[in-house]
Order: sequence, then C-alpha cells, then structure tokens
Amino acid sequence: MTANKRLKTLGWYLVLAGLGYLFLFPLLFMIVSSFKPESAIFTDLYSLRAILPVGELTLDNYQGVFDKSRIGHYFLNSLLITGGTVVMGLFVNSLLAFSLSRLEWRGQKLILSAVIALMIIPLEAVVVPMLLLVSQLPSLGWEEGRLVLEGSWMNTRHVQMLPFVANAFFIFLFYQFFRDIPKDFDEAAKLDGASPFQIYRHIIVPMSGPVFATVAILHFMVMWNQYLWPIMAVQSEAARPVMPGIQIFFGRETKWGEIFAYASFITLPVLVVFMIFQKRFVRSLAGAGIKG
Amino acid sequence: MADLQLEGVVKRFGEVQTIHGIDLDVTHGEFVVFVGPSGCGKSTLLRLIAGLEELSEGDIRIGGESVAHLPAAQRGVAMVFQSYALYPHMTVRENMGFGLRMAKFDKAEIDRRVEEAAAILKLEPLLERRPKALSGGQRQRVAIGRTIVRNPKVFLFDEPLSNLDAELRVQMRVEIAKLHAALGNTMVYVTHDQVEAMTMADKIVVLRDGRIEQVGSPLELYLNPVNEFVAGFIGSPRMNFFECRVLDVADDRLRLELPGDERIDMPADATGLRSGDRVTLGIRPEHILEHDRADIRLAIDVEVVEHLGGSTFVYARHIGGDAITLQVGGLSDIQPKDHRRVSFSRQICQLFDGDGRNISPHKVPGELKDEEPGQAATA
Amino acid sequence: MHSSINETKSVGLSADAAGAGRATDFRQARRRERRYGYLLSFPALLGLFMFLVLPFLMAVGMSFTDQRLLSPNAAEWVGLRNYERLLSVDWLVQEAERSDLGEVVRDAGGEPEFPSLRTVLRGDPAYREYREFTSWQWGEKRYVLLAKDPRFIQSFLNTLLFVMLVVPLQCGLALGLALLINRQLRGISVFRAIFFSPVVTSIVVVSIVWTFLYHRDVGVLNHYLQALTFGLVGPIDWLGDSDWAMPSIVIMSAWQACGVQMLIFLAGLQGISQDLYEAAELDGAGRWSQFWHITLPGLRNTMVFVILSTTVQAFGLFTQVDVMTGGGPQGSTSTVMFHAVAKGFREQDIAYGSAISVVFFLVILLIALLQKKFFDAREAK
Repeated sequence: MTANKRLKTLGWYLVLAGLGYLFLFPLLFMIVSSFKPESAIFTDLYSLRAILPVGELTLDNYQGVFDKSRIGHYFLNSLLITGGTVVMGLFVNSLLAFSLSRLEWRGQKLILSAVIALMIIPLEAVVVPMLLLVSQLPSLGWEEGRLVLEGSWMNTRHVQMLPFVANAFFIFLFYQFFRDIPKDFDEAAKLDGASPFQIYRHIIVPMSGPVFATVAILHFMVMWNQYLWPIMAVQSEAARPVMPGIQIFFGRETKWGEIFAYASFITLPVLVVFMIFQKRFVRSLAGAGIKG
Repeated sequence: MADLQLEGVVKRFGEVQTIHGIDLDVTHGEFVVFVGPSGCGKSTLLRLIAGLEELSEGDIRIGGESVAHLPAAQRGVAMVFQSYALYPHMTVRENMGFGLRMAKFDKAEIDRRVEEAAAILKLEPLLERRPKALSGGQRQRVAIGRTIVRNPKVFLFDEPLSNLDAELRVQMRVEIAKLHAALGNTMVYVTHDQVEAMTMADKIVVLRDGRIEQVGSPLELYLNPVNEFVAGFIGSPRMNFFECRVLDVADDRLRLELPGDERIDMPADATGLRSGDRVTLGIRPEHILEHDRADIRLAIDVEVVEHLGGSTFVYARHIGGDAITLQVGGLSDIQPKDHRRVSFSRQICQLFDGDGRNISPHKVPGELKDEEPGQAATA
Repeated sequence: MHSSINETKSVGLSADAAGAGRATDFRQARRRERRYGYLLSFPALLGLFMFLVLPFLMAVGMSFTDQRLLSPNAAEWVGLRNYERLLSVDWLVQEAERSDLGEVVRDAGGEPEFPSLRTVLRGDPAYREYREFTSWQWGEKRYVLLAKDPRFIQSFLNTLLFVMLVVPLQCGLALGLALLINRQLRGISVFRAIFFSPVVTSIVVVSIVWTFLYHRDVGVLNHYLQALTFGLVGPIDWLGDSDWAMPSIVIMSAWQACGVQMLIFLAGLQGISQDLYEAAELDGAGRWSQFWHITLPGLRNTMVFVILSTTVQAFGLFTQVDVMTGGGPQGSTSTVMFHAVAKGFREQDIAYGSAISVVFFLVILLIALLQKKFFDAREAK
C-alpha cells in the first residue's frame, strides 16, 4: 500500500468515526447516564465523559424507576403483546401468502391485488375509526361459570394484538419468497401424497427460514415500539405497554437519570435482537425496499 | 402387471389445446421414451400420466384400471423431476422416506424400504447428508431412490439428466438402464435429446405439436421413419435432405433428377405421384461414402472439416448448392476446399413425398449391409 | 434384492387404505385444494378486513355523520358538514378605522387601527363559524385569511413543511451514508450497524433523549453551537421557539430514520455492475463524472422508491410531536395526524377525526398514484 493510499484510508476512517459519534452519541449517552447520579450527568455532559461509564456509577435511577412506576408490569405487557402478535402474525400471514402463491382457487388474483393495494393504507389513516370499532366490540368473559360477552375491547391486551396480526406488507414479503420456490417441490410432495397443509408445514415452511426470520424481526420492532394506538385504546395501567408508559413517566418525573434508566430498560430488548440479528436486519430491510 | 394405456388423451389449457388425442399402449416392464422438440407436449403428457394435470378428454389406464379421475398420489406412479425437487431441509433419508411418512407407514418399515433402495443405488453412506452436500450425480440418484421406495407401478422421468454434465449424463444413462433391468417396472422417460431416446428406450414415442408422429423401437425409427420430421429428428448429425424432381413414374419405382442433374432410379411407393412432382431424398451423414463406387454419386465442395478422432464430420456443399454433412472415418484425409465425389447406396436412403410421408420401401436391419464397418447405424 | 421391494405393496395403493377421508377423486382433490385455499386465506383476510378495510370504510361513512366516541345519542347524517368545517377557507379585507374627519386612526406606534375582527365576523352571517387563520397589513388595509378550522389548515401546512424539509434531508443523508459505507474497508459493517442503530431505537425514546439534547439551557446542541461560534449564535430555544420547533423535529427525524433508506440505497449501489465503473475508468471518467453518469442513473428506481416511501411516512408524523412539543408552541408543530388524534380521540369527535383521516388517506393515495404512474411510464419506455 502506498503512503498516499494509506493516508486516504485513514481519512475515510476519520470521517466514519466522526459520523459514527454523531449517530451513537444519543443512545450511548442515554445508557451511560442512566447509571450516573443526576449531578454527574450534567457535569459530564460537555466532554467525552458524557458517553463513557466513568465516575460514580449507580443503579439508583433504576431503583427509582421501579419504585415510582409499574415498569415491570408494562414490560411484561409489551412482551406478551409483541410475542403473541408476532407468533400469530407469522402463522396467519404466511398461510395467506402460501394460499395465494401455491394453491389454486377462485378470486385469488383479486385478493392478491387487494393485498398489494392495502399496503399503502397506513395505520394512521384508520386509527380514529378503529377506536370506535373496538370500543363496540365485546370481549369474552367468565361470569358465574358461564361464558358471557361483556364490556368492550378497550383497555385490554388483545386490542393491542389482534388488529396487528394480519399485515399486508408481511403477506407480500412471504408471497414474494414463496413464489420463487420452484413448483416442483409441491408437485413432488403431491405425488408423495401430502395435503396442501402438509406441503405448507413440511415443505414450504422449513424452506423459508430467511423470510420467517425477516418478518419476525420487522414485526417485533413494529410491535415493541407501538405508541399511537395504545395511547388511544388503552388508558388502564393493567394493559399499558412500555412506550406509553415512558411517555407518562417523562411527563411526570423530572429526574433525567431516571428517565434515561426507563428509556434504557425498554430499549434493551430491541438492542439485543438487533445485535444478534444485525446481518439479517440489513439484508431484510434492503431487500424489502428493493422489491417493495 | 402394470400396463399403461392412453386413450384419446386431450389436454386444453383454457382455449389452447396442447395435446390432440393421444393413443398409446405400453406393456408392462417397457422403457418408453417420449421425445420431441421443446413445446411438443411431451412433458405435459407425462404430467397428465402423473396426475399433476387434469385430463380434458380421454382416459389413462394403469394395470387395466382407469386412473384419470385419481389424484396424483393414488395412481401408483412416482416421478423424477428435472430439478430433482429434493427437499433441501431434509436429509437423504428423510427425502426418500417422505412419501411413506405421508402415507403413515411406521418408522421401521420406512427405514427398511429406504435402506433397501439406498443399497440398490449405493447411497448408504450418504443417507444422513442434505442435498446441498451431494454432487449432481448423487442428487440424481437420491431423486431416483425417492421413487423406488414407493415401489410404484410406473416410474416417470422428466428430463432427469438435463442438469448434468456430458460425462455424468452418459454414466447416469447406463445406471438408469441397469435399474430398469433390475426392477423390471414400466418406465416412462421424457427427453428432448434423441441420443438419450435412442440409447435407453425399448420404445420411442416421437411427438410434435401435441400429436404422436411415430412409435417404435430405436432402430425402427432410425431405419424407417414415417415422415421427414421423424427422419430429421432421429439421428445425429441430422439427415441430409435434397429436393428432387420426378421424371418418370412406374408402379414401384421413380426416376428422379437430383440437384446437379444426376439422374437415378429409386424404388418407391409411387402411388399418386406424377412426373414433374417434387420429392425429397434423405440420406444420413454416416451413410455417405468417401469414394464414388456406390450407386448414387454426388460432387461436393468441402467447407469445414471437424476431426473427432473416432470419426470426422465434413460440412460441404454439393453442386446444387445445398449444404450437406458427411460423417466419415476418423482417419479420413479429406481437406477443406477439396472438390470431391462421394456416393451412397440407394438402399439406405429415404424418399419423402410432397407431404413429407416416407415412400421408400421398408428396410429390415438384417438385409442391409454396412458398407464400411463402424460407420453405419451409429446414433 | 429388488424382489423384496416388489413384494411390498405400492404406496399409491396403500395410501387408499391408510388415508381414510383423503380425496380419492381428481376433481375432489381439486375441490379440496380450493377449500384449503379459502381456509388458509381466511384468518389473514379476516384480520385485514376487520382492522383495515372496515375501519377505513367506517371512516368514510362516519365522516358524513356527527358520530362521537362515547355518546348516548345515535349518530345523525350531517352531509358534508365535517368536510366543510375542515376545508373552508375565506378571506376579507379590512379598512383602517377612520375618525369622523375621515382620517385614519393610528395607535401609539403610528400603526393604523382596525375594527375588531371578532365583531366583524359575528356581524356578518357569511362569516359564521370562521376564525382568523393569519393576516397581514398593507398600507391602510389589512388582509385576513379565514378558516373554519384554522388549526387544521395550520397542521396541514406544518405537515407539508415537515415533508418538504425531512424528505430531502433524510434521503440525502441516507445516500451520503450509503456511498460512504459502500467501500471495502475493514470493520465497515460496524459503522453500518452504528448508522442503523437509531432506527431500531423507539422513536419515543429517541424523542425523549433529544428533548434533553435540545434543551435551551443545558442541552448539548446549544453548548456546541455557542462554543463553535464563540457565543455569537444561541442559545436557541429549539423546541420552545415556534420558528425552530419544526426544524428541530425535522433534524431529529431524519437522523433517526435515515438508516433504513441508507440500507436500501446500499442495496441499490451494490446492484450497479462493477463493470460499468471499470469501463468508465478506461474511458477516462473521473470520480465525479462516474457518480453523475453511472451511480445516479443506476439508482433511479431506488431513488423514486425511497423518496416516495419516505414522503408517505413523513405525512404520518405524530409521535415526535406528541412526545416533544404537544403540537406547540402556538400550534407550530401540530400535524394532520396530531390534529386527527386531538379531535377524534381527545375531544372524542370521531366523525370529525374520520374526516381528517379520509383527507389524510387521499393525500397518501395521490402520492401512491404518482409513484405508480412514474413506474408505469418507465416500464412503457
């Protein structure tokens, strides 16, 4: 390598490092500050110390958050809501995509175009009427040992799950992937006596690991970060997830250390998922963009 | 017994008819090859037999029972796909046993059958591998093994060798032939490669545009093609054709004028022909001799010579201007730009009338003598 | 060897016995496949219908009523009243007040005085329900723009402003980052992950952290701004100043989301054949003209997709506003969605919120149609 080229490479690294700092600063600052006493956050603020775990480190902020807020409960809610929706979504969306791409039935072309068209309706366009809808949908409940219809869907966990199970975009991602699997596999399985559902279960699903992973990750992110819908449909603490939780905490508390502790705590799951599946994230989003 | 009978088989896709009434009898244990250019309907026909496509008209019988109404899995057929369609997430063992698993066989029975089939195909060491870890030839064998375990009445092969390189193809050809000899099942094999058809078939079915052109043994098709299409399709390099003018007609012979004014007498079924009509003379490249001592002579200008070692391909033009291909001995001294006289026997050439119908007399292998050993009748 | 296999029955036949209830007829099998088709499609189709199509149809329907979220009274048909309230704009010109002598009455600062707008609007039935949206003065005249829902008009314009600022910034940033990391350097994937990390962080969390960074007195942004300009600029009250609040949200939003577009651009860049660059280099093209003549044309489709999807997304701006400014100051960060939620949810006027949703959807539809038209036109070429 010539000296000139070496210098050039160094230059690129400097640019990358500078930009990296800008992109990493808020997140690192948040996490690091959540372990610092309130005063240290401010004294460290204007130096590199702001993003370094130096000085006195403490878990007091986390203690404070758990004392003042039912964050553990919200966290559990978010886990249940996210997990439940993703699992149901993988199943339901891939089934429709399978049916569209590999079975023959009347009206499927129409349904496919409808699904593609539905991709453009953003959630925001339907939240207001959906609010009225779910306020009038009855829930199932037990009363004196009998199954009864009662109340509405408001302030429940399922109101945060069921509307987000079926997703046109995810159906489309599945559809694209399934469509590219050669039909020979289905026909071989058909000759082997497999029913359509057995073809789905034994042939298509095991061959589609990548798209299932992609959709699971994207769906997980969407669900964990839900905000608009839960602030409308859920007022009770019992069913509240983490994002409205921190917004309320943020509006009420003034200690930044605790706010950052709250924020760090609820960011943890996505960061873990991101770090494990970093490569898949990159491929899935890039691929989705090009094809979508 | 598993005879296979097709009766008036018709297939339409919407408005488009691709198979136009096919009748065919295959006796138990026969190895039948469907051959034809792409788009001739050979794969569709195979898929109709498999039950992957539904018949529009007609009937298909296996072992005397109609299977036309049965879904694929219940016809007692098994198929080797062009792409093999090996499930990538399953081991060889699981791939081969999948059909039995779907039919709810117990595990011991599945293992027994899989291992038996693996023994036949020498796949035992590979049973726990996935398809990705196999070579092309090994995958091919697994695809065949998958059909064997089901012990079908009829084996179906859809261009199974087209993904292999030339050397492996020859090897697999032999293996499939051996397998057929060992199992003795009825096998139906689709290919566009007439060499495969010639080497493997008991019976070749030549298809064109959804119709059967000719059914017969390889040698029968080679010696007595019913028409110009079959003559051109069977045999490699392709048969040479010359257009000739009929000068005179007798009951069983014609007097013809070859391009370049050479006049010859040919035995033929001359019914309906008159002098002045055009007929086509066909002669296979391997039947043209380098000397001019046989009874029909041609003067040619040599253009390109390809030495294959064992034989030599000569691309030339004869006086009439038509291209002509010769296959001569490997040690031929023929050179580009040579001006030569070559010849062939009238007994070995074919004559087609204006509709392409073969009007030359029926040829019987034993009655023909190869002019030069090792040249004739190589396909 | 083979004889033992031949003794066992053919699977096809055994299946008949084993699989009771299986289809045994070709047509039956096809019918079964069709039934499976409907059956397997049903759950997802039900979900899409219940929670996308139905609410959308409800939105359209309710926008013509006076439906409220929790109301004992049945909703009534009100025709276009909601849309009228939403979209009505008007204007009027006020003459300065004159004394009996015909002279313009001026205030202490020498500016002409005008009659109270409120009185004027109340006095004239043509201006019923109208309120001032904005006004400006020209000589002795005052021009007033009126709207029945000035906050909606403002929100709509705010949203447009946001879109027009954030789309070029976010896409430009994304393209720059993509070009930057599209090179063979050791550890480049680490930087790719770093640039992408804000995307996985919840926008709520990001908004909260940035609220701190934007803080007027202790915020890092003001600190460095003042340090770099030797105290000449700032401190700026980023989120508290109605001129700065929206740009502040723009910058943060672009920063947070550009990682997605970066990856899409990166995939686009890697889709351009390396041969083209080598050919151009042989033709003597420099870096810049390579970028101009190969990279940009090669990214055309990607670019259109990125710009339009970012635009659609930007129109839905809500969370950042809700967390950081609550629409303020003086409505300067209120957006269409923020207004829809404020009306439909907080004020429980579902019907009016639905009307806003429908208008919102029509805007999205327009963008989508433009996108489709563009791609169709390209394919026709």
